[in-house]
Amino acid sequence: MSSQPQIVIEGVSHVYRPTRGKEVTALENVSLQVGQREFLALLGPSGCGKSTLLYLLGGFLPIEKGSISVDGKPVAGPGPDRGIVFQHFALFPWKTVRANIAYGLERQGMAREQREARVQSLVDLVGLSGFEDSYPSQLSGGMKQRTALARTLAFEPAILLMDEPFGALDAQTRHLMQTELLSIWQRTPKTVIFVTHDVQEAVYLADRVAVMSARPGRIKTIVDTKFDKNSRDVFKAPHFVDKVDEIWNLVRDEAIKAQGGRGM
Amino acid sequence: MAGVAHAEPIDAARFFSAAGLVVARSSVVVLLLVGWELFARSGAVTMFVLPPLSAVLERIWIDASGDLWLNVGLTLYRAVVGFLIAAVAGIMLGMAISRSAVARWFFDPIISVGFPMPKIAFLPIVILWLGVYDVSKISMVVFDAIFPVVTATIIGIQGVEKELIWSARNMGASKREVMWQVVLPAALPQILTGLQVALPIALIVAIVAEMAMGGYGLGGAMMTSSRFADSRGVFAALVEIAIVGYVLVKLMAVLRRRLLVWHQEASEPATV
Repeated sequence: MSSQPQIVIEGVSHVYRPTRGKEVTALENVSLQVGQREFLALLGPSGCGKSTLLYLLGGFLPIEKGSISVDGKPVAGPGPDRGIVFQHFALFPWKTVRANIAYGLERQGMAREQREARVQSLVDLVGLSGFEDSYPSQLSGGMKQRTALARTLAFEPAILLMDEPFGALDAQTRHLMQTELLSIWQRTPKTVIFVTHDVQEAVYLADRVAVMSARPGRIKTIVDTKFDKNSRDVFKAPHFVDKVDEIWNLVRDEAIKAQGGRGM
Repeated sequence: MAGVAHAEPIDAARFFSAAGLVVARSSVVVLLLVGWELFARSGAVTMFVLPPLSAVLERIWIDASGDLWLNVGLTLYRAVVGFLIAAVAGIMLGMAISRSAVARWFFDPIISVGFPMPKIAFLPIVILWLGVYDVSKISMVVFDAIFPVVTATIIGIQGVEKELIWSARNMGASKREVMWQVVLPAALPQILTGLQVALPIALIVAIVAEMAMGGYGLGGAMMTSSRFADSRGVFAALVEIAIVGYVLVKLMAVLRRRLLVWHQEASEPATV
């Protein structure tokens, strides 16, 4: 971590006010700092506001209370310095894989030749060669998420915001994607904020895991999970298992609370 | 080679099952037409009440060297021009209502009251204002066909996932670019459904307006035949209208498939 944190979140609260029904406090007084090129996982039960925090950071929701700044500047709306990847891909279904990946580059006004070369290199990076001209409806879930990841990596955001990106994938594909994400991140270091409710995933991918409490969402603890993730048997290594166990115990109470105290 | 040899019987089977489908689908229509011919010739009804199909087709054949093409052309012109104006204006209006609270405040009640209203009731006043020529007929078509387009556009735009819009904003698209490059194409399936509802309405209103105002056009020709107690002429016009309507609706379905190649439905069998 560099001396100056890249992302500073201070005292952020967020309340959803639906047109009908009662208000929901999604986040309450959340403060968090993330260093440059750090991989941070936001972990918590569903409904703990972890996605809300990501959307605030992305500038998609207005910050009503508290402050969020990136590189010293307050967040005011979405920007290509913070690229987001959604759980359900959010690909443009009327565009091919190639055109999806090229969209952000077109908006930046990149010249055609340069753009095509960049798209091709991203297609190769995420292993989608041969599917450049397919539409999203013709792809499997894993391939859709590869396309979404390539589309976001294309415009080279300094910060990657990932909202349960592998949550909609089957177990094998998910594991494959986790390994690939880790290797991509190691090759092109970026700051990553990764929202998940999967403890193993969080420990495997992240340098630090911020455990969040159930509604209203607060940061309960931050656990350091930085160790060598490259060995084949990392999932069986004792320090890995211990970390998963430690964090699982922290999350457990919150998960029970989120289920309405009925236990699991 | 083995693969090619294998592929042939499958293609043949596909072809025959597709051909079988066409036969099965059209057989109902053929059956009805044969029933018409036989019933009209059975003596149960007079030629005046129900002329046989063959006599009606003969009449259409004769008309084909007369006013048929002028009538078909004029009706199509009024229906299609009205439909196109309704399509463009309806999509624009739907976008404006989805985007601006002022437009919503102004147009929402007008649409709520106007949609269920029989617009054809305005025909007398439109005749007084705009006369009995093309302007008034096309205005009636626009007035009637615009409602399903506006509502389908609003519903389509409302249904666009916010993640899609956020993704585009994230990649640096301006609000205008988001509207034209993301919201509109994402809402296209719904908008096309609205257009598919509006097209037959356009044809119906064009013909009813022609029936009321007279002159050339399929509706006008039918009324003229009716006034001269020419029952064959009336039935000929009915068959012509049915064929024109069928062709228009089919063309629209083809256009939909073309525009929605990316959509899952493009690989499913057509219903319309």
